[in-house]
Amino acid sequence: MSDFRVLKKHFRVWRRLSFLAIGSYLSSRIDSATFLLGKLIRFGFFLLLIVSIFRFTKTMAGYTQYEVILFYLTFNLIDVFAQAFFRGIYLFKNDVLRGNFDYVLSKPVNALFYSMSRLTDILDIVFLVPIVLLIAYTTWRLPAPVTAANVFLYLLFLCTGMLIVLGIHILSASVTIWVIESENFIWLYRETMTVGRFPPEIFSAPVRFVFTFFLPIILIVAFPAKGLLGLLSGPWILFALAYAVAFFFLCLALWRVSLKKYSSASS
Amino acid sequence: MKKYLTIFRISWQRELEYRFNFALGRLRSIVVLLLLYSIWHTLASTTGTFAGYTQRELITYVLGANILRSIVFGAQARSVAAEINDGTFSTYLVKPVNHFLFVFFRELAQRSISTVSAVIEVALFSFLVDARIFLQVDWRWMTLFVVTTCLALVLYSLLNYTINLIAFWSREAMGPKFLFDWFLEFSSGAYFPMDILGAGLFVAFASLPFFYLLFFPIGVYLGRYTGWQVAGGIAMQAVWIGIVAHVARFVWARGLMRFTGEGI
Repeated sequence: MSDFRVLKKHFRVWRRLSFLAIGSYLSSRIDSATFLLGKLIRFGFFLLLIVSIFRFTKTMAGYTQYEVILFYLTFNLIDVFAQAFFRGIYLFKNDVLRGNFDYVLSKPVNALFYSMSRLTDILDIVFLVPIVLLIAYTTWRLPAPVTAANVFLYLLFLCTGMLIVLGIHILSASVTIWVIESENFIWLYRETMTVGRFPPEIFSAPVRFVFTFFLPIILIVAFPAKGLLGLLSGPWILFALAYAVAFFFLCLALWRVSLKKYSSASS
Repeated sequence: MKKYLTIFRISWQRELEYRFNFALGRLRSIVVLLLLYSIWHTLASTTGTFAGYTQRELITYVLGANILRSIVFGAQARSVAAEINDGTFSTYLVKPVNHFLFVFFRELAQRSISTVSAVIEVALFSFLVDARIFLQVDWRWMTLFVVTTCLALVLYSLLNYTINLIAFWSREAMGPKFLFDWFLEFSSGAYFPMDILGAGLFVAFASLPFFYLLFFPIGVYLGRYTGWQVAGGIAMQAVWIGIVAHVARFVWARGLMRFTGEGI
């Protein structure tokens, strides 16, 4: 089967799963509405915190109000995007625990793709709309003019950031096969991601080092924002690209090793 | 009382059963601590003060809020709603226990473990980053702090319990609980001192019960209030406890009439 046909087949699978997810969300309207409202409140309160901070200061770690807001919105864009499309990973533990993963393996579809995309969070897709609009507005309000090259770097590093996030989700699935009691691994990632809400310069140098090289949250969130602000040098750009690709393929290799280790013990 | 202490003991043992998940869960808490510490440390590092707080007060606020969250909020349990929805709640109806007290002591075990862990984390964190903390040595302020914290714990337990009882009316209780949790986190001052907000917003939040869960007890610890303000705050905590307890009792009575034991 050609690559294009494989892609087309998987897109059809994703579309069907997404329609099922929409049906599920529509059948529980109170939960859906309150979850969306809860997400908006969380988003709004942090925005309020940033605006409130700037009532007392002109800069935070050298950044102006709209620059800090750009970091915050970029964090939300990447985080919400991952929540929207890779939500299925949160169900993976139960699949392994109950032996349901055996059924996934027997389907004529990539098991990793199915496990990650089996639940599309429609609420998060809806939530992406105001985030993107606010990013456009914030970009317009930035103190320095934004060039086309800056926008290109922003989009490029959004893609590399997503590649690393995808790798982390694959890593989480791999760890689940090895250690079933690993529910908190993905939640640890979620919490760690929150350090990306603010510019990395608020952290001390050793902390920045850890969040750049070992837990690459700065590469995921701060690099796109810095790219848009024109603050990235050539070597850092090359490093981030190489890191993202290497990290992703390493996680993929670990998944393949884990899959071989899967013993179907629970089924 | 003996049976509730037994519930506490059993819940304590159960909490310690899943140690790997517990350790990872606490690691998450350290990440949040790191973020909040870094924000306020950065903001106050230039002049030594920010928004009317000294750097030491701000750092104490952040670290203190982390410990107080463990005491007051615990794991923000949703188990009551889940038990009502899946029908296992029925078993409590035939037990000779007060359901609220049962839940309170069950969660108290989890809170105790989290609090011990939070104190160790904060001590370790403070040592690693050389954080300067304000230590309250005046026993009168410490006594008032303990009193306001205990009242905050009771108030939160009642609020959380009442929200969980929504499950009597709807199988969709998790969404409202999620909404409640996030609103609570911010409006209680878990992330930042509420008085950095504009005057209008501050007054609006001060009129809610959440204001008395974290922001008020930490303010008492820092000695930022006059004696009359503390007395007024404690009175407000008592009033809110009375109001929420009545609402909880009403919702419980009405909810029981609707409960069908579906899912048993």
